[in-house]
Amino acid sequence: MIEEPYRWVEAIATRRDYVETQLSSGSPIIALTFADGILLFTVGQQKLFEIYDRIALGAIGHPGDIERLRMAAIELASTEGFARSAADVSLRRLAYYSLSPVMKNAFEQIYGAPFLARLLFAEIGATPAEDLFLRVEYDGAISQKKSGNKRFAVLAPTKKSAEQMEQFLEREDHGDEDMTAALELAFDAWAAGQKQAEEGAVLPGREEIRACRRERLGDGIMEAVVLERRARSPVQYRTVEQKQLAALSEQV
Amino acid sequence: MEPAGVQPLESGVSGATDFPSLLRRNGLLRAPIETNVTKVRDAAILPTQATTILAFKFADGVLVAGDRRATAGNTVVYDRADKVLEIDEHSIMAIAGVPATAWEMARVLEHSFQFFRRTQLQEMSVDGKVRALSKLLRDNLGFVMQGVGVVVPIFATFDAKASPSARLYFYDAMGAQFEAADFAATGSGSPAVRGILYYENTWGKKPLHKIGEDEAVVVALRALDTASEADTATGGIDRHARIFPMMKTVSADGIKTLPEERIAELFHKRVA
Repeated sequence: MIEEPYRWVEAIATRRDYVETQLSSGSPIIALTFADGILLFTVGQQKLFEIYDRIALGAIGHPGDIERLRMAAIELASTEGFARSAADVSLRRLAYYSLSPVMKNAFEQIYGAPFLARLLFAEIGATPAEDLFLRVEYDGAISQKKSGNKRFAVLAPTKKSAEQMEQFLEREDHGDEDMTAALELAFDAWAAGQKQAEEGAVLPGREEIRACRRERLGDGIMEAVVLERRARSPVQYRTVEQKQLAALSEQV
Repeated sequence: MEPAGVQPLESGVSGATDFPSLLRRNGLLRAPIETNVTKVRDAAILPTQATTILAFKFADGVLVAGDRRATAGNTVVYDRADKVLEIDEHSIMAIAGVPATAWEMARVLEHSFQFFRRTQLQEMSVDGKVRALSKLLRDNLGFVMQGVGVVVPIFATFDAKASPSARLYFYDAMGAQFEAADFAATGSGSPAVRGILYYENTWGKKPLHKIGEDEAVVVALRALDTASEADTATGGIDRHARIFPMMKTVSADGIKTLPEERIAELFHKRVA
């Protein structure tokens, strides 16, 4: 098949459709910079992970594939951090040099299985301007939000969902709110990404989104982690306690 | 040896279950030497743990203390060595023995615990941590037999959920672990220290596990001062340069490094 370029392109396109379909039922993940650092938020169990002192991961996809990629990222960061220092562990290098080529390769080797996963990495810097969000796709493509004052990134099951969340977060003011406000915003953004709007429909206002977020949450379990900018220990990753999240779901 | 660093993955995952073996695969940690190597010299396994470290349980948790002297033979090479190391938020390791090996062990241990938490998504249990250090010591046995790299550590940890919460272990150079009920001391100055701690614990005003923090600091200072009286390898308290022993406590609130001013104050009031 490799000798016949057209059929190869066709096979890749089919594969892309297949992967997109597999990923389309995932729950969105939101990462945003707030007063104390970076917040990652989602609904669902164990989708947010600690990679290294300053790096967190959120993932959508097949649990087995997520686990393989997560382990690879931790191993790479840990060996680098041990051989040199924690300050030398770089998310950019991890994503571009190590993960992306592997994922691209797996995707294009059409006799093998691709990774059914999309990843969102966040790395906290000394200042908000140094925060880095990288999205790594199943085919190895990496995207990074172009600059702008609002620092956030989303990982969505579908393109439509991503657009809605990005539109929502671009519209809302944020950057220096406290933890509670940041959680509120992330929850609203998640609800905006859940809503499967009709083609061409205008994104509803925040009040309207908030009014229906409880319903969209259903029995889902919220999960949130924080990368603290001024943590007391070198490990800046921290899990947000369930009781803080419970307060969020009780309000309308 | 070139550090391996981040390399492109071939399969996406290597399936390492523990951190030391991951390091070995990347050439970052030496493989254990066969323990059936011939002894280099008869003198090879002479104890060379030139230092004094001690730890005991007190009212709040565990206090770990160590002098600051590092020696090479009869020479004092360093007077501000830090032998009491934080491994994670609730574990302290104090080291006696060859510094290069000891500090590397502490570093491997610290990274191992974090690697475990990140990959397994839960903290390593106290038993797991104690065993991990034991394994590192056993892997080091080949070097001990060759007369290089003897390490005899103390490990103290606090688990608020367990009972008893404060746990204290000491090891021999082959990796055997012993849980101490009240106190532990290792290094060349330890015989004197063990005597003092035994005496305090048995016939003192209160047993060690009932004394408060200030009193605990005083006991540790007196013990280290006594050890340095007879043991040249123990630094004790350097009044000229104002160098005091390093002391850390681990309790329900985590690890606390006792400020030097406070140790100095207690020293002048109660010890000097």
